[in-house]
Amino acid sequence: MNTSPRKLNLDEWDGRYEQLRRDGLREPGYGGPLRRHVVRENDFRLEQLQFDSSPASLRLWNFLLTENERLRQARANGDKIVGTMKDLGTVPVMAYALPGVRAFYPDGAWWTPCLMECSDRLLQQAEAMGIDASFCPVRAMLPAFENGEHFPKPDLLVCSTGAVCDDFSAIAQRLEHRGHPIFWWEIPRRRQPASGELACALPGNLAAPTIQVDCVRAELQRIGNALGELAGRTLDDGGLAAGIRTANQVRRLLDTLRRTVYSAPAAPLPALEMLVAEMLAIHFCSDREETVAVLEDLLAEVQSRVRQNQFVIGADAVRIFWVNPVADLRAMNLLEELGGRICGSDYMFTHALDLIPENLPPLEALARTALADPMVGPTADRAARIVRECQAGRAEALVVSRIPGASHCAREGEIILEIVRREIGIPAIELEIPPVCDAMLATLGSRLQALVEIARSKNKAKS
Amino acid sequence: MIYAGIDAGSRSIKVVLFDTDQSQILASGLTDQGVEQERLAAELFEKLLKDAGLERPRISGVVATGYGRNAIRFADTTITEITCHARGVHRLAPDARTIIEIGGQDSKVISLEDGGRVRDFAMNDRCAAGTGRFLEMVAARLDMNWEKLAEAARQSKTPALISNMCVVFAETEIIGLLADGKPLPDVVAGVQNAIATRVSALAVRFVSPPVYFTGGVALQPGMARALEEVLACPVHVAPQPQFTGALGAALSVENKAKG
Repeated sequence: MNTSPRKLNLDEWDGRYEQLRRDGLREPGYGGPLRRHVVRENDFRLEQLQFDSSPASLRLWNFLLTENERLRQARANGDKIVGTMKDLGTVPVMAYALPGVRAFYPDGAWWTPCLMECSDRLLQQAEAMGIDASFCPVRAMLPAFENGEHFPKPDLLVCSTGAVCDDFSAIAQRLEHRGHPIFWWEIPRRRQPASGELACALPGNLAAPTIQVDCVRAELQRIGNALGELAGRTLDDGGLAAGIRTANQVRRLLDTLRRTVYSAPAAPLPALEMLVAEMLAIHFCSDREETVAVLEDLLAEVQSRVRQNQFVIGADAVRIFWVNPVADLRAMNLLEELGGRICGSDYMFTHALDLIPENLPPLEALARTALADPMVGPTADRAARIVRECQAGRAEALVVSRIPGASHCAREGEIILEIVRREIGIPAIELEIPPVCDAMLATLGSRLQALVEIARSKNKAKS
Repeated sequence: MIYAGIDAGSRSIKVVLFDTDQSQILASGLTDQGVEQERLAAELFEKLLKDAGLERPRISGVVATGYGRNAIRFADTTITEITCHARGVHRLAPDARTIIEIGGQDSKVISLEDGGRVRDFAMNDRCAAGTGRFLEMVAARLDMNWEKLAEAARQSKTPALISNMCVVFAETEIIGLLADGKPLPDVVAGVQNAIATRVSALAVRFVSPPVYFTGGVALQPGMARALEEVLACPVHVAPQPQFTGALGAALSVENKAKG
């Protein structure tokens, strides 16, 4: 059997899995063939995807797709479950600092319509609840909260407000009005410090007025008190500092993984698995320790492939920087089918990839990290980071994927494209990708293929 | 050497045979698109070979482009219509800096660099407004053919304002305008202006002269004028506008062969 790294469809993975089992594959409790997620959970989209062939990637997928089971087991074990919405990375660090508390990300239900190819009818049910297709697919979480099929009802639901996209606010408010109490906390819109104003450095080469950091720190203190009350113990600085160190362990692993994959002469891991791996930074897929193990496994696989010059995408693939996560995972496969590879990414949560300062009081460090969220500051800040990372990753083209209905990116894409074109002159396009993009595959394919052709033509002209 | 380009568009299939030694088009033709597009393309290709007195082995390469390009399995490779229109127009009009292509089901604006390379592009293939489909709908509704539609537009003194952005609703609006006594030429000219306005929204970011107009809709008299008005610059109809994609495809094999 061919064991060199490659991409496999689900049928091919069935055979690969049997072979791995015969060869003595050892898996964690949530392991098993990918096919079972289609059979048991109706994750039909998996039948349309191409997956990496490694056991480490199998573990990653199984970890992602068993979160519901994990949360229910945690509930059965008496753990407290916290739903953290919108902050994408900060509150989970606090929740996991308390023993017996697990955080998850109900907004993550936005991928459910894609995975289940809308067979769950979550989007239609959200529409019946007054949140129609003019809103972000995050609206899928509304019926998911009520039918209880995709995640257990949390013991505490935390959501940021203030510098939050309008559609998300509307969805969260609708959720509360339907009887799901929310612990709201405010994140101000980040601004540049005025001349002479006291300022703080934030992760990601950013700065904010100290008064804003103070405000967020006070809000995080309130959240800490609520979490402590839920857990029946105080969330102290020692526990928080330990939580930050473990979160940073995940972030360091992801940093090494990203640098190894994106700087390799050809792609040692497909774009799809990289997207899933990066997503683990947000809330550790409801198991912080296992996240570390999954990422270590994946990193070891990637490092081994690079050492042996084994890649899944040819070295002639055009290096593409990708902005925003895709509503339909199929789009990441499509990019590679058409001659591209990812050389960098900004999936809207870069602040969850940056190290949390360990030399500051824990709440201060977390407040600064929360304020570095690319979604709470000016788009120009986000674009500046994208430009820097495009240059570092030697990007030859840029894709901004837009999520239908998501108000946070209604104009943002155009601004990022304009700044990237002006600063580094690489071809750049914006794509709108709905939760199931089958009807648009030809359209998306033409745009992506044209982008690859333009980048190649530019390279040819240079040489 | 002779290369073939096949543009499998949404409304028609175009084929061009190009002789690189003579630097000239040996044959070109088009046929309506259909369900069996590979068979339709193959039949047209064979017919052009026969008309030109050529045998299949004389063809050094075949490139397919257009929305149906992946269905043309006898092609050696596929290239997007964006790259192909750029190459085709550049060959025919080397000074072109912007290409507006309005086809049956989509529209594109392509910005060119020196040498005819694509610098940037914008595309509308999600909405029938701004495409030839809008004109087809109007022609069918008014029971007029393509030529009569153009003739009517030429007679317009004060084009009607078509305010609906959606073709389905625009159809109702057009019926309402005619029922209110608006002269037919003004309604048709209004439709041309509505298409031009829609396309200009794509072009606003990077249009720079000279602007060339290509695609099947470029053959509709009055459309170039409508585009000139909304873009406030001259718009030239490219030579053989319906064949620039297929020509560009043929030229792409040549480029590839040269390495």
